[in-house]
Amino acid sequence: MALVELSHVSKRFTKGDETIVPLDDVCLAIEAGEFVSLMGPSGTGKSTLLNLVAGIDRPDSGQIIVAGTEITDLSRSRMADWRAQNLGYIFQTHNLIPVLTAYENVELPTLLLKLKASERRQRVELALEAVGLADRADHYPRQLSGGQEQRIGIARAIVSHPKVVVADEPTGSLDGQTSEQIQTLLQRLNQELGITLLMVTHDREVAGIAKRQLSLDQGRFRETNVRMQPNEIASR
Amino acid sequence: MLLPWEYGIRNLARRPVRTSLTLVAMTTVVVLILVVVGFVRGLERSLSVSGDREVVLVYSINSAENIENSSIAAQTPRLLTASLSGIWKRFGVPHVSPELYMGIRVGVVDSNRAADLHDRTNTEAVSESDALGLVRGVTSQAPLVRRDVRILSGDWPGPNEVMVGELAAAKLGLPANQIVVGNTLEFESQQWRISGTFSAGGSAYESEIWCNLPDIQSATKRQDLSLVAIRLPPGGSSAEAELFCKERIDLEIQAIRETQYYGGLQQHYGPVRHLAWMVVILVAAAGFFAGMNMMYGAVSGRVREIATLQAMGFRRIAIVVSLVQEGVLLAATASLIAGGIALLFFRGVAIRFTMGAFPLEIDGVAILIGSCVGLVLGALGAMPPAFKALRQSVAVGLKSI
Repeated sequence: MALVELSHVSKRFTKGDETIVPLDDVCLAIEAGEFVSLMGPSGTGKSTLLNLVAGIDRPDSGQIIVAGTEITDLSRSRMADWRAQNLGYIFQTHNLIPVLTAYENVELPTLLLKLKASERRQRVELALEAVGLADRADHYPRQLSGGQEQRIGIARAIVSHPKVVVADEPTGSLDGQTSEQIQTLLQRLNQELGITLLMVTHDREVAGIAKRQLSLDQGRFRETNVRMQPNEIASR
Repeated sequence: MLLPWEYGIRNLARRPVRTSLTLVAMTTVVVLILVVVGFVRGLERSLSVSGDREVVLVYSINSAENIENSSIAAQTPRLLTASLSGIWKRFGVPHVSPELYMGIRVGVVDSNRAADLHDRTNTEAVSESDALGLVRGVTSQAPLVRRDVRILSGDWPGPNEVMVGELAAAKLGLPANQIVVGNTLEFESQQWRISGTFSAGGSAYESEIWCNLPDIQSATKRQDLSLVAIRLPPGGSSAEAELFCKERIDLEIQAIRETQYYGGLQQHYGPVRHLAWMVVILVAAAGFFAGMNMMYGAVSGRVREIATLQAMGFRRIAIVVSLVQEGVLLAATASLIAGGIALLFFRGVAIRFTMGAFPLEIDGVAILIGSCVGLVLGALGAMPPAFKALRQSVAVGLKSI
């Protein structure tokens, strides 16, 4: 069974008289340990798909199963608990809490897990080491560069050992050199730690670091190798 | 799981100017609440301790509830003593206090010129103040009935001397250092040397000026009395005195327990108390809006951050609690500062009213009420912005600037 399964998922938004359908009967399966990039022009539903997988939005129809849990029917609070246990989210603008230090920012998701203080500390230190910022643990976000902030954001996304990490334009607000560092880091996380990654980007070059590249347009996957039927999902 | 406490604390320092202004506003609100609560409690205490259950007041039936307007015959004390068997006696002395009580203009003579003034005619006296004071002419039997009266300094008044209550200065609207032993007052065209000061357990007498009954009768050219205060034996009944007054219609007097008399006055001041509580509510509402305004500002700048916390897995209730913590923390700080200000600057400040003066009663209960109101304001003020922020979907919140 795939780690992430979307079956006939549709999502539409109504804006005045106009109805936008970013996702129309989409099916997708992502195996554990895969690094999948999702490309497409702005407004094609990439982020919507990401948010559905992350459980922060709900489809109008279809079924989403992540790590064995059907998340479409979970209540708001159960969904929050599920996210805490299973999901890491890397944001485009890192979204660090400005009043907390790098260490405290990374520690936040672990507060939602039943961990001993020593285990929590160990996890935070390992996550900071993984992104190469153990020496910046006491720094506040304003004292870090854009690239360092994003690395802290990545450490925060992986610290709770989530089943899936979703990344929404993780290099979108970074310069070229810093973007490369982040790309390398994401590749390492996938290859060395076996983290399952679903990354949304509009940058073809960034998308190229993923083993599997999908393209979304007009509410459907365009590339034939990724447009799968439900029976194909079941067979994987 | 709740957000770390540090998150709320540090968020307060995020917008220092806005937080400081809100702190000042909330402190002002809590100070005002403490002052108003202190006012109400001071007024209630003054009236409640002013009555002695074992004292019966006999005064004119025509004066309604105002003893100042009462005029009864000078022989009334003798008649009462002779007719009533239920008057408390010790060593054969009946505890009956004839008194003449009036509100009159009282001036303070400059202490440097007092000696000189004694040598002049009364009309040449120069007063520094000319306020309405409460003067009670009493005999040496007064302390037998007014059991709470204690001489704090000086002596019982001799001829042309007065003894002043510790709130008399407040009643006259004068600094306390002007109403001290040795200084001179002027009323009814005479100078009265202050021979002593007294307390009366927080009762209304503390704002009065006491002098010898014959002296004030002479000065005012009155031979009558305002009232006779009778002390009953412990557990004694006022029925006999009441019956006597009803039977002796020629005297036109009435008898009432002192507690009942002040109870009636408390009802008389009921509207004042209600008005004071209305002020508390209005001031509290102002504090609520101040707190809510700050939290709206704080939350509106943090929509994406709140969405991020939700995306991580923090439940909405955890975020609401954290925002409420911020409001409560600010309110607690404001309450603490306000409590300090009230205790330092307002506690015991004398307030004048028609019956005399009373101190602002900023005690533990007032502090408790003020602090609780402050904390509730902090919590309530944070809730609407918190719920507003959480009504937005996480996906939309993450896109907010």
